[in-house]
Amino acid sequence: MIDALFADIVSRAQSLGLGFAFLTSAYERTIWLDGIRMTLILIAVTIPVSLVAGAAMAVALTSRRPFLAGPVRCFVEVTRNTPTLVQLMFGFLVVNMLIGKALGGAENNPLTPFFWVVAVVGLHIAALHAEALRAGIESVPEAMLEAARAVGFSRLESLRFIEFPLALRTALPALINNLVALAKLTTIGSAIAVGEVTYASIMIWSQRDNVVELMIVILLLFSLINLAIGWAGRWLEMRLKIPGLGV
Amino acid sequence: MLDRLALPRPLSLPAPTILPVMAGIAAAGLIWGAFQPTSMAMLVTWMPYLAKGFGMNIVISLCAVAIGTLLGLVLGALELSRHRLVRLPAVVYVQLFRNAPHLVLIFATTYIFPFEIMVGSLRIPFPDWMKATIGLAIPASAYVAEIVRGAMQSIPTAQWEAATGLGFSRSQTLRWIILPQCVKRALPPWMNLYASITMGTALASLVGVNELLHAATDASTAVQKTDFTVAIYLTVLICFFAYCYPVARFTQSLERRFAAR
Repeated sequence: MIDALFADIVSRAQSLGLGFAFLTSAYERTIWLDGIRMTLILIAVTIPVSLVAGAAMAVALTSRRPFLAGPVRCFVEVTRNTPTLVQLMFGFLVVNMLIGKALGGAENNPLTPFFWVVAVVGLHIAALHAEALRAGIESVPEAMLEAARAVGFSRLESLRFIEFPLALRTALPALINNLVALAKLTTIGSAIAVGEVTYASIMIWSQRDNVVELMIVILLLFSLINLAIGWAGRWLEMRLKIPGLGV
Repeated sequence: MLDRLALPRPLSLPAPTILPVMAGIAAAGLIWGAFQPTSMAMLVTWMPYLAKGFGMNIVISLCAVAIGTLLGLVLGALELSRHRLVRLPAVVYVQLFRNAPHLVLIFATTYIFPFEIMVGSLRIPFPDWMKATIGLAIPASAYVAEIVRGAMQSIPTAQWEAATGLGFSRSQTLRWIILPQCVKRALPPWMNLYASITMGTALASLVGVNELLHAATDASTAVQKTDFTVAIYLTVLICFFAYCYPVARFTQSLERRFAAR
């Protein structure tokens, strides 16, 4: 049944001059579909990591405590101004090796390439989230904070119930942009053999020489993912909209 | 108490300025060198090789942004066309390639383009670094098109009418009134794009272009020493940081200056 379906797709593509013959081979098809699944899993896992870390960094950045804000500020600047691939290599080749040594042998190291992709991409995007949220927190009108203090909100309560919800709404478009960048960045996982869609495609096209066909699918896949993220962002924007606030 | 409440909120810690940061990095490097003289000496001998690699990064980034900017200006103009048939292909191109991962585009250009081009009987080699350049120029052009479109659309159309009223021709209006404002609005995002493309050049190492990250991997495989490996990858990070951080700072200062007016 499924084989017949794939055979049908392959013959239709063939008539358009596109070589999707690999879909008839169960082995290659599995690699490829697993690649697509892995890309979706990577994105789904990394998004919450980036959001939580970004929110934490934004709180640290606006905390007015130098011992909190200083290191986070350094981290944000380094992350924003160095290539993510270099960070990934630094994490996977250098930090991972040091952890392995400290644990007495690489075989004791529980950290997988998957972990490093999620950690590096998640923290990279978190730094961008943090900047957007910081700008949002700083744009909360002074009068609102005074009002909060006047009714007895502590600094933390004011942050939790007043500044952060407002900052989230101001920063939402920027956050969505960052999430689109996040989805695209997960492809660097192929550099350290995480079997996401790029990696799977390379394995297939190096056997069958059908780069153009697989590339079309990858481009469409990422267009779809990013459309979905953008759509979810706009929906959230509508949901969170406060009448009378801002523009 | 009232005074304290009326005080403006202190801003959070600003981004550190360039010179102290660079001085700090240099000092840290020297201290490390004093404790690890053998690794430091090895790092120094590998330096010319790394510098050549980083030169490649800079060449790729400059070429990619130059091509991307030229192409993007055309695409941006097409996107603003009144005719749907002209607009549509440009909009589709921009949407497709803005959403495409840079790495995927670099792989695409590397595998799809031939390794040499025949012009008549002349064989022109088409090296991998040029293919990677094109792979980065494609998304760059899509971003530039969006920057151009945004900048043009941010100018109120009433200015065109006002200029006509003052006796400016259409091309004069564009040259003396619209474009100067556009440049001001487009420059900061364009510089951000340059920094982002520069960082994207590291991806070229994955298709075998001998740039900085590739050179560092070569060096660490050749030497096979833990502290040397740590040092060389740190050097790569520092090189990119030292190149991109000033660009980012300059962009921020431009943004502030333009916003103030």
